[in-house]
Amino acid sequence: MRTSRPLDVYRLVWRLPLLVWQGAFFVVPLAFLAAMTFWLVQNYRMEPAFVLTNWQKTLGRSVFWDAYWLTLGRALLAGVLASVVAFPASYTLAFRMGDSARRFALMCLVVPFFTSFLVRAYAWQVILAEGGPVNAALGTIGLGPFTMLNSGFGAMVGYLTLVLPLVVIFQTWSLAAIDRSLIEAAGNLGASPGRVLVSVILPAARTGLVLGALFAFIMTFGDFVSPFYLGGSKPPTLTILIIDTTKSGQQWPRAAVVALMMIATLFAVAAAALRAAYGGRR
Amino acid sequence: MMTESRLHLTRRRLLQGAASVALATPMLNRAWAQEPTQINMLAWYGHAEPDIVGEFEAANNVKFVPKYYAGGDNMLALISQSPPGTYDLILSDAEFVQQLNAAGYIEQMDPSLYPFDDFFPEFQKFPGHWTGDQLWSVMVRYGLLGVSYNTDALTREEAMSYNAYWNPKVTGKVGHFDWHLPNLGQISLLNGNKSPSPFDIDAAAWGALQEKTLSLKPQVGGYFDYGGTFSSLKNGEMLAMVGIGDWITGVLAKDGAKVDSVIPEEGGIQWTESYSIGKGTSKTEIVNKFITYMLSPAGQVKSIQMAAYPGLSPTLSGWTAIQEANPAEAKRSGLIVGADNDPIKMYREGRIFYRDTPKQQTLEDWNDFWSEYKSA
Amino acid sequence: MKAVSALGRVYLAALFLFIFAPIAASFVFSFNSDRFPTLPLGHFTTEWYARAFSRPEVWEAIRNSLIVAAATSVLSTFIGFATAYTDFRYGFRFKQAYLALALLPPTLPLVILGLAMLAWLSQVGLSGTLAGIIIAHVVLATPFAMAICRLRLNQIDPSLEAAAWNLGAGQWMAMRHVILPFCAPAILSALCLTAAVSFDEFVVAWFVSGLNRTVPVMILEILQGNVDPQINAIGTVVFLTSMTLVIAAQVLIFRKRRHE
Repeated sequence: MRTSRPLDVYRLVWRLPLLVWQGAFFVVPLAFLAAMTFWLVQNYRMEPAFVLTNWQKTLGRSVFWDAYWLTLGRALLAGVLASVVAFPASYTLAFRMGDSARRFALMCLVVPFFTSFLVRAYAWQVILAEGGPVNAALGTIGLGPFTMLNSGFGAMVGYLTLVLPLVVIFQTWSLAAIDRSLIEAAGNLGASPGRVLVSVILPAARTGLVLGALFAFIMTFGDFVSPFYLGGSKPPTLTILIIDTTKSGQQWPRAAVVALMMIATLFAVAAAALRAAYGGRR
Repeated sequence: MMTESRLHLTRRRLLQGAASVALATPMLNRAWAQEPTQINMLAWYGHAEPDIVGEFEAANNVKFVPKYYAGGDNMLALISQSPPGTYDLILSDAEFVQQLNAAGYIEQMDPSLYPFDDFFPEFQKFPGHWTGDQLWSVMVRYGLLGVSYNTDALTREEAMSYNAYWNPKVTGKVGHFDWHLPNLGQISLLNGNKSPSPFDIDAAAWGALQEKTLSLKPQVGGYFDYGGTFSSLKNGEMLAMVGIGDWITGVLAKDGAKVDSVIPEEGGIQWTESYSIGKGTSKTEIVNKFITYMLSPAGQVKSIQMAAYPGLSPTLSGWTAIQEANPAEAKRSGLIVGADNDPIKMYREGRIFYRDTPKQQTLEDWNDFWSEYKSA
Repeated sequence: MKAVSALGRVYLAALFLFIFAPIAASFVFSFNSDRFPTLPLGHFTTEWYARAFSRPEVWEAIRNSLIVAAATSVLSTFIGFATAYTDFRYGFRFKQAYLALALLPPTLPLVILGLAMLAWLSQVGLSGTLAGIIIAHVVLATPFAMAICRLRLNQIDPSLEAAAWNLGAGQWMAMRHVILPFCAPAILSALCLTAAVSFDEFVVAWFVSGLNRTVPVMILEILQGNVDPQINAIGTVVFLTSMTLVIAAQVLIFRKRRHE
């Protein structure tokens, strides 16, 4: 069934498009980004060179590391928080609802992916404003006004809006796939519901839980809308640092350094998460 | 009270909406007749909106296509990322004209085309716009930066010093317009760096400026782009804003927001916007026609009242024209010779300093410090 | 147990409320007269729609978005299908790397992708063009097209293609008469989905677009510029467009399934 004659046109027609396109427009730009980190900027123009200044200048500054730890910390927090917040909902969806209701709910959760996240962030900006609807509502019962925008809280609202749908979907899938007889058996053997959750359900759904958290991490790590429009850039994250750097004085090579550090971090976290999700099962 | 201003706002918006429909209609019709010439403009927000270019577009069968930026560094970055000849017309901050010129991004201009006789003497040979007799850029408008504040939070007296930013009444509610030059310039003035300029400071003064700026950190509520500056002041999210002036609060006040700007005792900073012609453009003639139009009294009346943000006029005939066309606006912005808020008078009194690029440090130094401050 | 279950449903409803609050709010604000809405709401108005859609540059942006979305959907669906078919039919060395290349792009932060794209495209003179945006969107959308087509190919009986060959059909004929018809609903749905991905993407487009704005870039520029509820009006229209595409994609998949 598998053909491998020399120069099989048919085979190449299907295999090459991806290699050509993603090679020319994904791999090459990223390689170029990496090469650019060694370039020089003079009079607002980039010049090919091989200097380490950009690495030294970027990694040698506390600005970068402050932003780095902040972004990493926030992304980890968002991953954990989103997982914890989503879990009861996913549990309800997986175990307490009928098939069609669940399918409908999951379909609804796909909807947010097709609304502009910018528009949603802008809506939060209005909702959470000092004089916005939330504070107006709280005011009627004598509370507030609370400052919610331009803070870590505001940014986190944005992150959760962005990632929660996906986390719920991942968790629900993996929970719904658990063999019910396992749970019943554990129950029949006298395990308390809490015990069943910890020793049966969580381990069995591990893959989906970890993947959900991982995607929450990835999306938060790379988001600039929430920290900028809801967090007031206070303090700046790595994505804001990249945009600021490109805006000011054509320091693209330094922005590229930040980008590469982000990619390396993402790979490291993803590798660890995938090991946690799939490894050591047997 | 609230409803009243809301109604007022709505009516204004409706009229604007109707006006833009009216302006758009002939444009659409004309598209069938003859494709208009496209003029690519790199500018601060609002310079290619219908209230400024609409009439010129209709009269000359051209269409402005804008790319908006915020801050001179941002502008330079945008030009260098685009192929040469992308932008026909560049509206830049005056202090960046030299860099545009040094990088070879702009064409030389013909001084005889522009009404320099009509300019106030201070502006005829604006720094950086000329090399000897060669002209590279023509100033079109300017404005003053000072203390911008919410009038419910601070009194005018309190706002009359940059120390207002440290006032406990605005703790956590001080915003920054996210660009280092105007912010650091203001703090530099507060530190007493006036002679020769708040941007021409030695290492010791630069150190003191950084220290003073960092002490503002606990007051700060956020860093904003043009849009964010606007909405956060308007909805009361921020009660004072560093690095701006009437160009933001003037628009908001017209919309009924309780905000104002003053030039404090330590002095104010002048922003200046100038037109340059993009290197390699094939549309020099029509671009020159547009620049001349904008410097005419009619153009200046538009520029002074620009919907996105108001600006002052560098020409005497512009002042006369606005006094006639909109006396209230002329009075509000001081475009009456000898008035209390006459910008030229304030300049001659030594209260106004041109915004500039740092003279003894590099732009990179200032920029690096600004990003450090933001993450501090 | 009943009580726990009811509590779970309340919790679920609260979570959905949080997720959908901004979407609903944006819709409501788009018809509300206040520029900075609060409670109580202002009066009903279609003014923001009128203002937004009376601007020629908004129509220009819509035109750009449609061109980009159409080109992206065709190109990325073709590449996605070709890749899915390769994965389905062939085993080869470095297949893992091949598949990684196919699925990696969406995991990379868009800001980084935008940065790399602009840096590279301005080297080859494509920055600021619609072609540049299309190139970037195809990179982003191809993995989705590939995933959809691959799922469909999973359901095919591999012996079907072999049977066609045995009956004397060449590979091309088998592709045309067996594989393609079988995959048609997936291909149509991939076309819709990739168009929706492109229609909604703003970060990379913002970096690369130059003077050629797409609708989401326009929204971003209003947010950076003269912030007002036109954002909601344009956003609502974009949302309805994307949803139409997504629902079309869903219907195509489900209708076909029911036929079988």
